[in-house]
Amino acid sequence: MSWLPYAVAAWLFAVGLYGLASSRNLIHLVGCLSVCQSATYVLLLSLGYRWGSIAPIFYDHPPGTPAVDPVMQALVLTDIVVGATLTALLLVLTVQVYKRGGTLDPEHLRPLRRRGDTPQPKFRGGAEQPAP
Amino acid sequence: MMASLLSAWPAAILVPLPVALPLVVCAALLASAHLLPARVPDILAALTAVACAGLCAMIALHAGDGAVDYWFGGWTPRDGVALGIGFSVDAASGWIAAFIAFLYACTFVFAWGFFGRTHGHFHILMLLFLAAMTGFCFTRDLFNLFVWFEVMSVAAFALTAYHLEESAIVGALNFTVINSLAGFLMLGGIGLLYARTETLDFAGIAAGVAHAGHDPIVAGGFCLVAAALMIKGAAVPFQFWLADAHAVAPSPVSVIFSGAMVSLGIFGLAKLTVAVFGGSAQVREAVPPLLIGLGAVSAVLGGWMALLQRHLKRMLAFSTISHAGIMLVGIGALSAGGTGGLLVYVVGHGLVKGSLFMIAGILLATRASIDEIALRGLGRGIGPVGIAMAVAGLLLAGLPVGVLDVGSRLLHGALEHTHSYALTACVIGGALTGAAVLRAAGRIFLGLGEDPGDEAGAPSEEEREKADRPLWLMLAPCCAMLIADVALPSGWISDIAPGAVAAFSRHTLTGPLNEGPASPAWTSVAGAVALASYALFRHRLPRVIVGPIRATQSAPTRLLEALHSGLIGDYVAWLAVGLAVIAGMLAFA
Repeated sequence: MSWLPYAVAAWLFAVGLYGLASSRNLIHLVGCLSVCQSATYVLLLSLGYRWGSIAPIFYDHPPGTPAVDPVMQALVLTDIVVGATLTALLLVLTVQVYKRGGTLDPEHLRPLRRRGDTPQPKFRGGAEQPAP
Repeated sequence: MMASLLSAWPAAILVPLPVALPLVVCAALLASAHLLPARVPDILAALTAVACAGLCAMIALHAGDGAVDYWFGGWTPRDGVALGIGFSVDAASGWIAAFIAFLYACTFVFAWGFFGRTHGHFHILMLLFLAAMTGFCFTRDLFNLFVWFEVMSVAAFALTAYHLEESAIVGALNFTVINSLAGFLMLGGIGLLYARTETLDFAGIAAGVAHAGHDPIVAGGFCLVAAALMIKGAAVPFQFWLADAHAVAPSPVSVIFSGAMVSLGIFGLAKLTVAVFGGSAQVREAVPPLLIGLGAVSAVLGGWMALLQRHLKRMLAFSTISHAGIMLVGIGALSAGGTGGLLVYVVGHGLVKGSLFMIAGILLATRASIDEIALRGLGRGIGPVGIAMAVAGLLLAGLPVGVLDVGSRLLHGALEHTHSYALTACVIGGALTGAAVLRAAGRIFLGLGEDPGDEAGAPSEEEREKADRPLWLMLAPCCAMLIADVALPSGWISDIAPGAVAAFSRHTLTGPLNEGPASPAWTSVAGAVALASYALFRHRLPRVIVGPIRATQSAPTRLLEALHSGLIGDYVAWLAVGLAVIAGMLAFA
C-alpha cells in the first residue's frame, strides 16, 4: 500500500493539534478537534482498503468476491458517532460559556478564576505564600 | 461447601449482567423518572450499584486462578479465529469491578437528595458511567475497550459540567478536548494493531504481537494506545486536565473520578502492557524506563502541587495525580509484585481518596466553602469529620494498616532492589500528599496556622453545595469506605494476589509477591506529619529557619503554577510533547 494515506493522516492530526494549541475561539477549537478526528478516518479507511475490491455488501455480488475490510468500516462508523456526540456536547458547552462569560476566547476563560478578575494572576500560590 | 455451590453456578451467564443491569435501570429511569417520587431514583440507583458489586464479587470468586469467558451471541472462536466479541473476567478484574460498584453505592448514599429536582438525570449518567467502567474491566476485545472508554468519557464530560457554572463549564471543556484527543489516539492505535494482527481479540493480538518481532507498526500501535490510557490516567505530561475537571465537578462525581476513573486508565494500561504486549520484546524494553520515569515524576510533581493548593478539591485532585504516578511505577516494574501491588493500590487508593472527596463535599455543604484558609477553625462543630479527614490523611501518607498499605508494600517489595530512585519518589509522593491533607485538617478542624487576615477571602469563585442532608448521612458512606480500607483482611489479599496476578497477566508474569519492609511507610508518615506541622507552625519558627526555605522554593513553585495555566492550548502542546516522549522511547528501545 502507498504511504500517502499515512502521511495525510499524520499531517491532519498535526495540523489539528496546532490549531487546538493556538486557537483563540472556542468554535474554531471544536472545528480543529474535528480535523484531528478526520485523521483517524483517513488512517482507518486506508488500512482497510483493498485495490480493485467492492464495498462489503454482497447483495448483488456472489459471496467470495474480494471486498474491502468491513471491520475497519464499522470502526469508522462508530468513530463518526463518537465525533457527532462530542461536537454536539462541546458546542453546548460553548453556548453555555458564552451565556455566562460573554466571550469565546479561551485566554479569558480559566477554571477557578475569581469573578471579574483580570485573567493574569489566576490562582494564588495558596497556603505556602501568605501575603507579605 | 461454599466452593461446590459456587462451581455449580453457571457463572458464565452472570458475566454480562453487571454491565446490562445498570444499563437497563438507566433506561427505565430515563423513561419514568418524571413520574417517580423524589427519592425513588436514589434508592434504585443505590440498590443497582450494590447488586452489581455482589454480581462482580461472585464472578471474581468463580474465576479463581483462571478466567471466566463469555462470548456475546454464542460467537465462540473457531479454529483459533475469534470473530465474536467477548468478556473475559479474571479475579483481579472482577474484584476491581466489585470495588468500583461499591464506590458507586457509597456515592449514591452520599448524594442522597443532592440532585433533587433533576428527573434522575444525575443517576442516569452515573449508572451509564458504572456500566462503562465495568465493561472496561471485563472486555477482552480491543475495540470494545475503546467503546467503553468513550462511553465513560461522555458520561464524565456531562457530569463535570452538571452545575453549569462558569468554572465548571470551562473545566469540562478542557477535560472534553483532552480526553477526546485520547479517544482519537486510541482508535488510531487500534487500527494499526488490527492491520498487523488481523484481530481485535486480546489473545489474538498478543499472539500476533509476539510473532511480529521488532515492528514499527506494533510500536506505533502501542504508543498511541498507551498515550490514550495515560491521558486517562493523568500521567505527567498529560495530567493538566485532571486538576481542572476534578476541582469543579460536583463532589459526588469527583469521588468517582478520583477513586475509579483515573485508576481505571492505569488499570487498562497495565492489562494491555502485560496481557497483550507481554510477548513483544521492544515494548518490554521500552516500558520500564518510560513508565517508571513518568510515574516517578508524576508522584513528586503531583504531591508538590497538592501542597501548594488552598482549594481543597484541587488539592485532592493533585494528590490523585501523585498516586496515579505511583501506580504507573507499578506497571513499569513489569513484575508480578509490581502489577499485584498496583492492583491492590487501585482499590486502597480509591477508598481513601473517595472518602476525602466526600469530606470536601461535607465542608462545601455544611460550611459553604472549599477554601482551606477561609475555613480555618470553622470545622470545630463537626469533630467526627475532622477525625475522618486526619485518618484518611495518615492512610494516604502510608500508615501501615489497610488495603492501601498492602498495595504500597507490594510495590515497595517489587522496586526495592531494582529501582530504588522510583521507591524514593513513591515515598516522597505519599509524604507530600499526606502532608497536604493533614495540614488542611489541622487548619480547618483545630484552627491551627497563621491568622490569615485579608487573605481569608477565597480567590476562586464562590462555591457551595446544598445542605439538605443530615450530617450523619453524608459521613456514613465516607466512614464505610475508610473502614473497608482498614478492615479488609490483608492476609486474604496476600493469599489471592499471586493467582490473581498470574491470571490477570495471562500467565506472562508469575512468581512470588514480596512485601517490602515497613520502614518506607513510616518514613513517609513521619515526613507527612513533619511537613504538615512546618506548614501550620511556620509563623512561630525563627526567621532564620523559615527564610531560606521560602527563598529556595519560591522560584520552582512559581514555574509550576505558571505551567498549570488552565489554557487548553498549553495542555494540547504538552500532550504533543508527551506523545513524542513515548514514541522516542519506543524508537530507541
